[in-house]
Amino acid sequence: MALKGGWAGTILRVDLSTEQITRESTEKYSRYIGGMGIGYKVMWDEVPQGTHPYAEENRIIFGVGPLTGTGAMCSGRTNITSLLPSNPFHGVSDSHMGGHFAVEMKYAGYDAIIIHGKAKRPVWLRVVDQDVTLEDASVFWGQGTFNTITGITAIMGKDSQVAAIGQAGENQVNLSVIRTGPSHSAGGHGGVMGSKNLKAIGITGTGSVKIAGDRNAWHKLNKDTFAIVGANNQHVVPSTPQAWAEYHDPSSRWTSRKGLFWGAAPYPIETGEVRPEEANKIGYRTMKAIKDLGPAAEKYTVRMGGCASCPVRCHSHLKVPELAAYGVSTNVANTCVGFSGPHGIMKGTYTIEGKTKDEANVIGRTTGSQIADDYGVWCNYGQIGRDFKWAISHGYLEKVLPREEYNSLSMDKWEKGDPDFFREFYRRIAFKEGELATLGEGAYYLARKWGFGEDYWTDKNNKLWTKLGYPVHHSNESDGIVGGVISSMFNRDAQCHTHQNFLGSGLPLNVMQEISAELWGEGAIDEPANYTPVNDAKVRFIKWSIIRNILHDSLTLCNWMWPMHVSPLKERNYRGDTALESKFFAMATGFKVSEAELDEHAERIFTLHRALTAKQMKSTNLRQDHDQLTGWQFDMDPDKEAFSKGTIKLDRDDYEKALTLLYREMGWDEETGIPTRAQLTKLDLKDVADELERMGLLTA
Amino acid sequence: MSETQSQLLNQKITRRDFLKYTGISAIGATTMSWLLPGCASKDIKVFETADGMIIHESARCTGCLVCEATCSVGNDGKASQVTARIKVSQNYAYGPKGVRGDWVNGPGEMGNFTLVADTCRQCEQPACALACPENAIFEHEGTGAREVDPEKCVGCGTCVRACPWGIPSLDPETNVSTKCILCHGYTACVKDCPTGALQYVSWDDAIQKYKEHFQV
Repeated sequence: MALKGGWAGTILRVDLSTEQITRESTEKYSRYIGGMGIGYKVMWDEVPQGTHPYAEENRIIFGVGPLTGTGAMCSGRTNITSLLPSNPFHGVSDSHMGGHFAVEMKYAGYDAIIIHGKAKRPVWLRVVDQDVTLEDASVFWGQGTFNTITGITAIMGKDSQVAAIGQAGENQVNLSVIRTGPSHSAGGHGGVMGSKNLKAIGITGTGSVKIAGDRNAWHKLNKDTFAIVGANNQHVVPSTPQAWAEYHDPSSRWTSRKGLFWGAAPYPIETGEVRPEEANKIGYRTMKAIKDLGPAAEKYTVRMGGCASCPVRCHSHLKVPELAAYGVSTNVANTCVGFSGPHGIMKGTYTIEGKTKDEANVIGRTTGSQIADDYGVWCNYGQIGRDFKWAISHGYLEKVLPREEYNSLSMDKWEKGDPDFFREFYRRIAFKEGELATLGEGAYYLARKWGFGEDYWTDKNNKLWTKLGYPVHHSNESDGIVGGVISSMFNRDAQCHTHQNFLGSGLPLNVMQEISAELWGEGAIDEPANYTPVNDAKVRFIKWSIIRNILHDSLTLCNWMWPMHVSPLKERNYRGDTALESKFFAMATGFKVSEAELDEHAERIFTLHRALTAKQMKSTNLRQDHDQLTGWQFDMDPDKEAFSKGTIKLDRDDYEKALTLLYREMGWDEETGIPTRAQLTKLDLKDVADELERMGLLTA
Repeated sequence: MSETQSQLLNQKITRRDFLKYTGISAIGATTMSWLLPGCASKDIKVFETADGMIIHESARCTGCLVCEATCSVGNDGKASQVTARIKVSQNYAYGPKGVRGDWVNGPGEMGNFTLVADTCRQCEQPACALACPENAIFEHEGTGAREVDPEKCVGCGTCVRACPWGIPSLDPETNVSTKCILCHGYTACVKDCPTGALQYVSWDDAIQKYKEHFQV
């Protein structure tokens, strides 16, 4: 099967131990689509059970897909797959970053870069199309991500793209990131690069991505997609009442309105009211700065930004002159948890002389973001802050830190909300200074070392979803059992936005229920915080959400925007088009696939992920070993029953039933949650079934 | 004199008229450079075209590069930053001059977020066409855009070197030069820009845009 378009056709393999650089065809991996799929296939084939994430035998795979770099809407994501250091059993996982690194990879001619081994000394990988070399990184080792990216760009040329680790990654801090551009971070795998002595990858690509189909038809398809796209997270109604809009929702990220400006642009630019048909204004809809940083952020906003081929622009770019006082650039960009994650370590509000509370909030959050990004520390989706504060409030910090170290902490700055506290906190984490650095190892390792009691896990305010040590990420607050089960299926926080985007679209419940009934059956979604027990429609919604998430990370499309289940168009009755991914895929690659066929490819990838989890845990019962919750989900709101109004409480029996129904829907053993031989064979994964059987892990 | 050159000279409103009308000529060289092609403008760049001008309004550009993808796919059937006739990516991260000492405060996504586009001006005296030893660059009848005839192009790169803004590009996969042809009037990059940072306007419209922008 020759690859005609979409895929670059070549995978780059770099063995840092032997300094061998080789190439292989992507064809072997085409059934795994790309990105995440290639990553799991490589991990299954090449990384033995029991491998430590920081061992030479581990692989780290930078993967992109057949739609990356084609110009398909929101197709600028890089998927990074490796063993996850912060995971208790070092399960396989993915981290993702946006920006422009992914498209540069494609233009250089690669669908994936597979890294293995360990360099004898710090190196960076230089990729200029077919010219690939390992370069001395001694000058960059010890530098933050901003200087590293800039230094490598100075060497490679202004049109290159760089992904790099900071000091946290170098020092194999479990919670560390790989970063590209001013604001794009992939959380979790920075330490793996550090363990391999690989500081960065720089890429210049002068080639192209071929479109197998007719170029005019492609252009029309992209235009049609522009017509049904919403704001960030595919929110399809404005946040304020607007004359053109039938509905509005204050929580919508479609925040543009009259009188709201990019206030720090060279001249103020009004976001204004943006009607759905105004394609040349899509980029103004999502004024994310005020969502992430509060109302004072308006005057600091230079513009919005984001990833390649994305019209939506969810990253806020700000000019905050006050940041100079904290030794960081006054130009700062980020989005969502990139701002709130670092902020989470602070006690609460900021106090900055001469600034209002709202201004101080902007200054504080942006300072934290700049410093965490430069050191390359990952917040574990906000968990590091909750862990720090739990250790303070429950007396652990004072107990476990040597007195000299404890006294050296500027807790007075923390108490009064001085952003300067970020500098010493993140320095200590990134350089593994003292006992405090245990916070950077992840919740599981932290709880074990500092002796946190069971109450740490069962306190709902700690938000820990399972004993793996990762927090909620659109879990039971997202359609109850639906988000609840989705959050248990991965080896870190679930990075699935398929269900959340749908639930947050802003359309009224009756419209949403009509659409959900068409897609998954009656009863798939409930009124928020008034949930009903699991049913077949909810299970289909769960499976579909996961499968599309996997599909997007393989194609690669942004799951923070895709799929297009809804649209802002009244004339379409607010329906979107869930077949768009398969239409783009068919046109880019020339392989005609239906929506269902493409979903089956993604199902293969997710099933392989499940098999990998069983293999790495050496588990014959993933229901018990992997999928069990910490308990607060069932015990919260003691005065309320599950399935009553006003609570997101789950029911234990209902949760177990939901697992059983999902396992059945996925073709897994209904008792153990391990994929069956029959299902693995059906998905062309017979070799996986054989391996599981050889290991004694195949239960059906 | 070519037909296009004649058209340019006979336009109802010439570029000189435009500058006179908007008062720029009286303001002085510093302000004037703000609007002139190839200047060190930080806010808006204005480019002459055969029939008018393409405006890249830097303050509205968010660096999505939808323009480059839609250009290259539409014209070549493949997405490429090199063959894209509107060029944002080459200045994207650190501005037109690349990494400089004060990059933190300089242009580009990694600096102060100012994005600068390089776009074909469809010059009155096109250096690319005048330099081409094969006479492979001709004027399109409909738009007056300067267009490369791939049958005549021998891939020598003379046009690439001749253009002050580096607009013509040799497609590394075909070794044929390519440059902006205004999509024969369609201007896909302008149509697909999600913030309206690109506009293809006649001289009349340019004056109106100027008035609206500065409320004069």
